[in-house]
Amino acid sequence: MHITKAVITAAARAQRQLPLQTLIDRDGAEKSVLTILIEEVLSAGITEIAIVVAPGDEVTYAAAAGEHAGCLTFISQVAPLGYGHAVYCARDFVGMAPFLHLVGDHLYVSGGAQGCAQQLVEAARVEACAISAVQATRETLLPYYGAVGGRRVAGRKDLYLIETVLEKPTPTEAELQLLVPGLRAGHYLCFFGMHVLTPAVMEILGALLAQRITGITLSAALAELARREKYLALEENAARYDVGVKYGLFTAQLALALNGRDRELVLSRLVELLATRVVESNL
Amino acid sequence: MNSASRPGALVSIIRATDADERNRSLEHFCRAADLETMLAECSALETFRRSSQNLYERVRALFFLYALHRFHLPQHATLQRRGLIPYEGYVHLLNRRFEEAIESFLAAQAQEGPSEALSSALAAAYHRLGFQTLADQVRRSVRSVRGNQWMFRIGHPADHPLRVRPELCAATSDGLFPLLREVTPVRMDLSHSGWSDIFFLGMDYPEGARVLNVSIDLGVHGRDAGPQPPVEAYFRVIDRPVLRLVSVDLGAVAEITTLREIFDFAKDYLGLLKAAIIAAGLIPPGMEGAEEALEELLARMVGPGRGIEIVSAVNGIPKGSRLAVSTSLLACLIAVCMRATGQTRALTGALEEHERRLVAARAILGEWLAGSGGGWQDSGGVWPGMKLITGELAGPDDPEFGVSRGRLLPGHHVLNLDEVNAATRQRLQESLVLVHGGMAQNVGPILEMVTEKYLLRSEAEWRGRQEAYGIFDQIVALLKAGDIQGIGKATTQNFFGPLCTVIPWSTNFYTERLIEQAQAAFGADFWGFWMLGGMSGGGMGFIFAPERRAEAQTRLYESMLATKHALETALPFAMEPVVYDFAINDRGTFAELWVGDMALMPSGYYALTLPGMLHRDPQTLSPMRRAELDRFGAACRGRPELAGVVQMLFDRLLPHTRQEASEGLPLEAVLDEWGFDRLQHEQVRADLRGGRIGLAQNRLPASTEIRDVAFTDVTDASGGLPEMLRDLGLQALHDGAVAVVTLAAGAGSRWTQGAGVVKALNPFCKLGGRHRSFIEVHLAKSRRVSFEVGVPLPHVITTGYLTHTPIQAYLEVNAGHGYPGPLLLSPGRAVGLRLAPMTRDLRFAWEEMPQQLLDEQAQKMRDSLHAALIAWAQQVGEGSDYTDNLPLQCLHPVGHWYEIPNLFKNGVLARLLAERPQLRVLMLHNIDTVGAEVDPVLLGAHLHSGATMTVEVITRRVEDRGGGLARVDGQLRLIEGLALPREEDEFRLSYYNSNTFWLDIDRLLAVFGLTRDTLQEPERVTAAVRAVAARMPTYITLKDVKKRWGHGQEDIFPVAQFEKLWGDMTALPEMACRYVVVPRLRGQQLKEPAQLDGWLRDGSAAYLETLCAWE
Repeated sequence: MHITKAVITAAARAQRQLPLQTLIDRDGAEKSVLTILIEEVLSAGITEIAIVVAPGDEVTYAAAAGEHAGCLTFISQVAPLGYGHAVYCARDFVGMAPFLHLVGDHLYVSGGAQGCAQQLVEAARVEACAISAVQATRETLLPYYGAVGGRRVAGRKDLYLIETVLEKPTPTEAELQLLVPGLRAGHYLCFFGMHVLTPAVMEILGALLAQRITGITLSAALAELARREKYLALEENAARYDVGVKYGLFTAQLALALNGRDRELVLSRLVELLATRVVESNL
Repeated sequence: MNSASRPGALVSIIRATDADERNRSLEHFCRAADLETMLAECSALETFRRSSQNLYERVRALFFLYALHRFHLPQHATLQRRGLIPYEGYVHLLNRRFEEAIESFLAAQAQEGPSEALSSALAAAYHRLGFQTLADQVRRSVRSVRGNQWMFRIGHPADHPLRVRPELCAATSDGLFPLLREVTPVRMDLSHSGWSDIFFLGMDYPEGARVLNVSIDLGVHGRDAGPQPPVEAYFRVIDRPVLRLVSVDLGAVAEITTLREIFDFAKDYLGLLKAAIIAAGLIPPGMEGAEEALEELLARMVGPGRGIEIVSAVNGIPKGSRLAVSTSLLACLIAVCMRATGQTRALTGALEEHERRLVAARAILGEWLAGSGGGWQDSGGVWPGMKLITGELAGPDDPEFGVSRGRLLPGHHVLNLDEVNAATRQRLQESLVLVHGGMAQNVGPILEMVTEKYLLRSEAEWRGRQEAYGIFDQIVALLKAGDIQGIGKATTQNFFGPLCTVIPWSTNFYTERLIEQAQAAFGADFWGFWMLGGMSGGGMGFIFAPERRAEAQTRLYESMLATKHALETALPFAMEPVVYDFAINDRGTFAELWVGDMALMPSGYYALTLPGMLHRDPQTLSPMRRAELDRFGAACRGRPELAGVVQMLFDRLLPHTRQEASEGLPLEAVLDEWGFDRLQHEQVRADLRGGRIGLAQNRLPASTEIRDVAFTDVTDASGGLPEMLRDLGLQALHDGAVAVVTLAAGAGSRWTQGAGVVKALNPFCKLGGRHRSFIEVHLAKSRRVSFEVGVPLPHVITTGYLTHTPIQAYLEVNAGHGYPGPLLLSPGRAVGLRLAPMTRDLRFAWEEMPQQLLDEQAQKMRDSLHAALIAWAQQVGEGSDYTDNLPLQCLHPVGHWYEIPNLFKNGVLARLLAERPQLRVLMLHNIDTVGAEVDPVLLGAHLHSGATMTVEVITRRVEDRGGGLARVDGQLRLIEGLALPREEDEFRLSYYNSNTFWLDIDRLLAVFGLTRDTLQEPERVTAAVRAVAARMPTYITLKDVKKRWGHGQEDIFPVAQFEKLWGDMTALPEMACRYVVVPRLRGQQLKEPAQLDGWLRDGSAAYLETLCAWE
């Protein structure tokens, strides 16, 4: 499986400013969230990137992408019909090719030399099937994520064959349908916000949307995908940061800094901050 | 080799892989075993149970050990009767440290040798450990059911993963939120194959766990328009950050603001709702003990400033219906909460199969939390229509695998229309008359008996169980064939055959009277009787030819009403009988979302909550409440089903000024009638409030020396006495020198938990082929003696305010059971008025006296209840008159001491003596000492001794609590348990008072300063009685009294009363007393119905039959 295309969704009306925010990347350079994401994608060997945006956002996004603007295709989601629909908007761009998909409000920090997207694309290439990045997540966080159930692929510690996909399941549903042997009690494999998908997903999304069901999630389509074809989950040794939640951007910035060139500098600033607070509270 | 001769034979039976061998009964083995062999088997079983890794092997070994010690070892004449039970072991037993208790008792057995006393203690410990082990396993299984596990891990509100669905959080423009309404049918079982739905049975013997169960809607015939799902639950978001719980049927409302309150189950009538909220994961069980604010948790689930309201309603279906109403309500509440928090796929409509199973599993969890228990079929109403529910073998993926043979949850097969066609379903509905007979009994002890007998493979019961399986197959086949008449025959056969064989207490006098009347009235058109649930008397089914069903509904109702009124002083009825209309429900549990004008609670909710709101300034009501009032007002004008609500509201707002006519005379009149002594009452109250009398003050000073008696202090008649004494006794009987006095003035509180029925009239057991009351039994014994000696024995029954009129009426109706001799009633002339208890005494009873610790959750319930009852006592006023009940429930008998002087005061003894000057001796006994009869040998011994009073004692068993025979500061006398300075003193006493006394009339009169002649002088008699009474200690006791309300609901309150007891006469130096040890069969008392099964099984009932000559 050869993957050259990627789709980043950034059309959610409440979150359209998030990819435009500026952060200091691990290399110490000041970049927009969008640029960091694009570089993550490019590092995986992707050459064509589509960004699904709200109408009118194309120019600001192109500006935020800076030098990478040339490899971007902007797709407009005219009406806010949900996440599944946003992905589906990229169907013509994708065509019959597999593609990497990321959400525009997350940042990924890999624990190793390889980037997260790079690991995922490599796994998809080897396994020749759709594959989603997942992470073992405590059940208390289930209301925030899509989650998968399945079994471990023989001989692999980090790869699972997905049998079930549920969007934001309750722990009751998770216990009944998403138990994965080998995981700690109360932990489930939740989506990491990064997938390599086959064109079948577009077909499924199309069918779901044709039923005029509102708010179609990508998870609904992925649940169907798991029934149709081989679909794997790769447990990432990495961290993801949702920049859309309270202090999300700040946390992502800290994570980048503490995993990058300026680690010592940032640590010393943090210590200073803590010390100042102690002094103040003693007054 | 005979298995009985080889130690370990019983272990082999338990471990056998061959089913026939494994199903061999203990009785079979014990028939051939001598005492030594049995003791060796006990030892082998004890070793085995400690080493076995298999839960059910351990449990069966425990029950074998229990049965050996309870039934088989005591049968051996060579077993020593007298023994002392180590107090330390008893305390372990009370504190549920069963292993330590067993070790203590076994150590005593090794040191002192085996004895009946120690065997009784070991039996109790093994029995409780067996049930504890089983209960623990069920609990573990409930926790390990997938879908339930997470709830035990979530301990902090910040971790709570549930959110209320957005559909429920969207308020309309006037601020009202949508309403999610769940309705659930109840279940009736055509057969439960001998209570095979008990969890333990299903988990050990899944092949035998089979139930045919039908979901039904109900209505009360003549009251409701038609059948509808009997239980409803409502869920909605509210605009205050509280959890508001409302039980419409119990009239209870609470706004909960702390997590702690949710786990306080017995604080109010909302325990079931709280258990449902916890079991549904709304407030997961893992949060018990968390101190965080509930508001914080609600904010996460439903949004800041918002809360949740949950309302339950049972459509007037009474408690004890045997239709699993409470489990169905629990399941209904759980289902609505699960739907509301996204734990089911669909918000509305029916549930999916795996969701129903989860609701059933959580209902089991809820029952455990609320300290109740049911069978696994009780959530059957969650499923639609008719279904076969069967046990399932545990597979490798099940948490039960390797622990028990079966899974906790059974499998449900819903019978489709090809299997049971529509015409058959219709015919079943047209033939069956479903009723509630009015009795609300506790099925718990029955379920324990079934489990025990199953594990022992008791022969008759095991055969009965196998027969029940055959009948079950037959009923299923008949149902498929559409033969309703055949089903009626089969269910009748099931009831009188296997069910009554396994548990003789399934039936009762009332039920059998109803069946006889139905047979007499309808002949061949009465197709059969059908016992619903655990026992008869409450919910029951009668099957008639369809064309006579309407007539049968009317006549059965009349028959129940008349029979109930005839028996209500003898049997504990909780309510008036009702006939139901019913229909098979084909939806199972079902939910709808109501929005806009539809989103109103049931009318009963407004009747309950509106008065409070209307009394408030409208400006203080929240916008949502104001909008709701507007909407409700409009609905009352426009919706016909709300037509009567305004009237109901007026009734609530303006309480009746006229006192509703209560049953019988008002309290004041009853007090006057029974000679209530107001001066004495005020003195008791003042002493009680002043701390001069009370539970702690009942005790003798701590310096009192209490010692056990020596062999020489008693005459041991348990092994027989010289023949010359018999001759002496027979001669006295021939001479007409003896009369029997049966003490029946008391309330028998323990027999009915304070239900206020007359124990003497309770048809407690089938003897000689039919149910017999205690009075009938005593008369049958006196009849036999009368026949044998050829002289009629005068029989006196003492009565009191509660018992006199019913006993008099009973004897008239039954023509004194044809008793050949003089039969007299001795009416009491003393009555007390119960008092609200002092919290000091409640705390003493519950906190300072050793208490039986309950199972973990039940203990929490009890602690919570105790706190609520202490608050109740403070609220009504400690030591104030207890008047908030039926008049007769507010009175109390003043102790059996008065029953003998009453014979002097009311002229009964004088009359007897005038008619029979030869009368010299009275044999006095309790109504529940059923084995006591006028034994010529004991009579001879009494006469020969020249004593004023001969007291019968028995060797003590662990259950014999309440004092005994002792040397008290050197004086040989009876001492009441209440008076013992220390709890452990009782465990140093070998003999227990059977409360049977032989009295020499003239010597007794002399103690009172009276003679036969002065008995004719009332003032002198009164003064004499008062003088002796003043020398008798007055004990303060706490007794349970039931208060009935609503639809078969009962509350039990502890009330304070005082009493004087006859045994204290032994402390008078001028009473020459002798003590004789009699066999247990003669001296034991039946204090609680739970004793009956053991009494029947250990040969006591058979012994009694030999004493009786029935009419």
